[in-house]
Amino acid sequence: MSYAEHFQDMEKGIGLAHAIAEADRCLLCYDAPCSKACPAETDPATFIRKFRLRNITGAIRTIKDNNILGGACGVLCPTSQLCEKECSATGISRPIEIGNIQRFLVEYGWQNGFKVFEKPAVTKQRVAIIGSGPAGLSCAAELAKQGYQVTVFAERGEPGGMIRFGVPAYRFDKNFLKNELQDLYDLGVEVRCNQRIEGSEGAEELLADGYAAVFLSPGVWGTPRVIPGAENMQGVVTYPEFLVGLREERFEEFGKQVTGKTVAVIGGGSVAMDCIESASKLGAKDVYLIYRRSFAQMPAEEDERLEALKLGIHFLLLNQPVEYLADSGGKVKGVKLLRTQLGDPDDSGRRRPVEIEGSEWVLNVDFVIEAIGQIPDESVDWSSAVKLDRKGLIVAEADTGKTSNRRIFAGGDIVRGPGLVVEAVQDGKVAARAIDEALSKA
Amino acid sequence: MTAKNIDLSVDFAGVKFKNPFLLSSSPVSNSAEMVAKSFEAGWGGVVYKTLASGRWPIIHPSPRMNPYHQGSTKMVGLQNVEQISDRPLKDNLLDFLYLKKNYPDHPIVASIMGFSTEDWQYLAKSAEDNGADMLELNFSCPHMTIEGSGHKVGQATALLESFTEAVKKVVKIPVMAKMTPNITDITEPAVFAKKGGADAIAAVNTFRGISEIGRDDWIPKPNIFGIGAESGYSGPAVKPIALHFIADMAKCKDLGLPLSGIGGIETWVDVLEYLLVGATTIQVTTGVIHYGYRIVEDMAEGLRDYMASKGISKVSDLIGKALPNLQETDHFDLERQGRAEYNYEACIGCGQCYIVCNDAAGQALEWDPEKRRPKLIEDKCLSCMICSFVCPVPGLITFKEMPKEWNRKETVVMDPGLEKELKYQPYEEVDLKR
Repeated sequence: MSYAEHFQDMEKGIGLAHAIAEADRCLLCYDAPCSKACPAETDPATFIRKFRLRNITGAIRTIKDNNILGGACGVLCPTSQLCEKECSATGISRPIEIGNIQRFLVEYGWQNGFKVFEKPAVTKQRVAIIGSGPAGLSCAAELAKQGYQVTVFAERGEPGGMIRFGVPAYRFDKNFLKNELQDLYDLGVEVRCNQRIEGSEGAEELLADGYAAVFLSPGVWGTPRVIPGAENMQGVVTYPEFLVGLREERFEEFGKQVTGKTVAVIGGGSVAMDCIESASKLGAKDVYLIYRRSFAQMPAEEDERLEALKLGIHFLLLNQPVEYLADSGGKVKGVKLLRTQLGDPDDSGRRRPVEIEGSEWVLNVDFVIEAIGQIPDESVDWSSAVKLDRKGLIVAEADTGKTSNRRIFAGGDIVRGPGLVVEAVQDGKVAARAIDEALSKA
Repeated sequence: MTAKNIDLSVDFAGVKFKNPFLLSSSPVSNSAEMVAKSFEAGWGGVVYKTLASGRWPIIHPSPRMNPYHQGSTKMVGLQNVEQISDRPLKDNLLDFLYLKKNYPDHPIVASIMGFSTEDWQYLAKSAEDNGADMLELNFSCPHMTIEGSGHKVGQATALLESFTEAVKKVVKIPVMAKMTPNITDITEPAVFAKKGGADAIAAVNTFRGISEIGRDDWIPKPNIFGIGAESGYSGPAVKPIALHFIADMAKCKDLGLPLSGIGGIETWVDVLEYLLVGATTIQVTTGVIHYGYRIVEDMAEGLRDYMASKGISKVSDLIGKALPNLQETDHFDLERQGRAEYNYEACIGCGQCYIVCNDAAGQALEWDPEKRRPKLIEDKCLSCMICSFVCPVPGLITFKEMPKEWNRKETVVMDPGLEKELKYQPYEEVDLKR
């Protein structure tokens, strides 16, 4: 099997029979708790009822009208922490598979040529969206429905942001995204690719060019480095370099460094889990996960952690990397680690890792992927256009996306830090409402 | 009493069956190969697929069945436009001989359908001469179009009587007449069958129905190359209506014949209900089409265990036992009233009860949105019990009789102020107690 094939097999969604059986189990609750649990205001109680009563087109409309990325959320959302966690059917047996039904319905619409949207007439001003991830696309869709002429500026060759270039293809592939984007194009949204907007200056230029408002949703594509001063060591990459590289299908380039080799992934979040699985799919001989706290403190979802264990990943918990060792050619050959033990809780509420003096040891490796966090891309500066906080995130109102600049709104990860797709979608929606309100008054 | 002491055998119009479970005359009893397999599975007897004399060609439409699904529950109903047996009479009779030779203790009931008196007699004699233990006269196939056949006979009482009489003249074995439900009062043709000499009645055949219409072509299904037809509809969806036909015949003083109950039977509970309203044997097709012959194992085991738990040792002690409790509605004691009783501890908070009580009943429930729990306003409860029908927790909502002094609140008039605009003369109130 080629590298490409390893990364193409996005798991299939459930079929019609499974979806009907799940809808049949639904208790069709009064004031349904699932519908209150979605950050993006998804209304499973309504779309499942519609599906159950054989109003399948109506069910699809309910999903997509609320969330232009309804399919993506059905695939990617940690539903067990949200809608499904609240499901009343849990009192009988187990929650309804809401995410699976949602994905099924959206895909059913595509397969059967059901179009939710007609192109609305453009009656209002132009709005520019900087960043084509979930927040930007969601904002674009809502504004287009209101009659705005919307242009999305995507930095890379295709739109989608994190769900196109950050999430591995085996979790969310580009064909699925292509269908989802078509629904957006049906609304008349224009997407311009390979358009890097250079920070504040770029945003100001768009406003000067006649865009009545700008929505900033560039995401957070930077990452803190594990060991200062080791940035240029060969064989050490950051998660965006690795995951984006794979989404750009540069398999040979990474294959050379990973296949049959010993790889270390540093970090304990969902992104680290994606790096682990990707390295594993590239055929790494051994993959080590290095994390300074313990299993229970890892930010990654439980099922992701268990999945990694099943893949045969070696978990090096309670280990803090302190130095990379290079061979004579300047390429990494080992990671020097210090063992830790857990102390008192820190600001995050999790117990702090305390290094154990004299516990140094060296793990021999061929390749290292750093994935210890997501921060704004430091090469782009928004600070003269909008107010930033001390982490470099844009300060914006949660329920409007309003920034310090009355014509600039913002949402998604650049405001809240790394978050869920549904949260970004909701940011886009609320910002669209606020933009409409602001521009209607103008 | 243990299940081992239970005798499931029945005497039905003089024929002894080892249990009351029979295949009905249909696709599931089409050949000796099939019937033998059903006997191995535990069926007590068979009403063999209706024999035709061969004087008219029988060709089955293709396709010929269509299911009626309800959500993910398959085949709550089934429409079938298959005709009587399309096999040569000789082949079917050879299969009778095979079955009698290999399964001598499993009675064969030969279903026959003629298109003239001679036809009926010819088939009756042929069946008897080749081992049939009993006859079933098919007066009820719902999709025959030839006048003087199928349910058209079942609806024409004089024909029905004369064909029965003609058959009785030429055979010694007991004769059962199979009734159509496509009629208002089933006892009427049944009594005519008795006058013709019938020894038993089987009911019901399938209901004329339309199970589905194609949404793209507007052709009813099964779609036989562009044409659909009203035809035999069966399955669990018709069971309550079929039971009423059996009960009506069982209560009919002029009839007094043993009954073979048919319609939507899948489980021992269905069987029990047929027995309780007066059937001695039961017949199954749709249940077998859905699940296969194996369902008889659960009918037998379930019925045995039930009988053991009730201390009933033979099936005849169950027959008709619900009939004294089945009366016209004027027998109700309307003085006694009750209401729903909630076990809130078991509630999982889905709120379906709240929805239905407000939209379809007495608005007797309040809803606590914080705790997600209903609260019954007891004196508004109409005791319709629909809340308990939608409740997913078994036994959470039960019926509770209330003391005589308990009173239900009257349904509120929205705006009593409109009384001055009312055009109305009170009618003399009927005294219900009288």
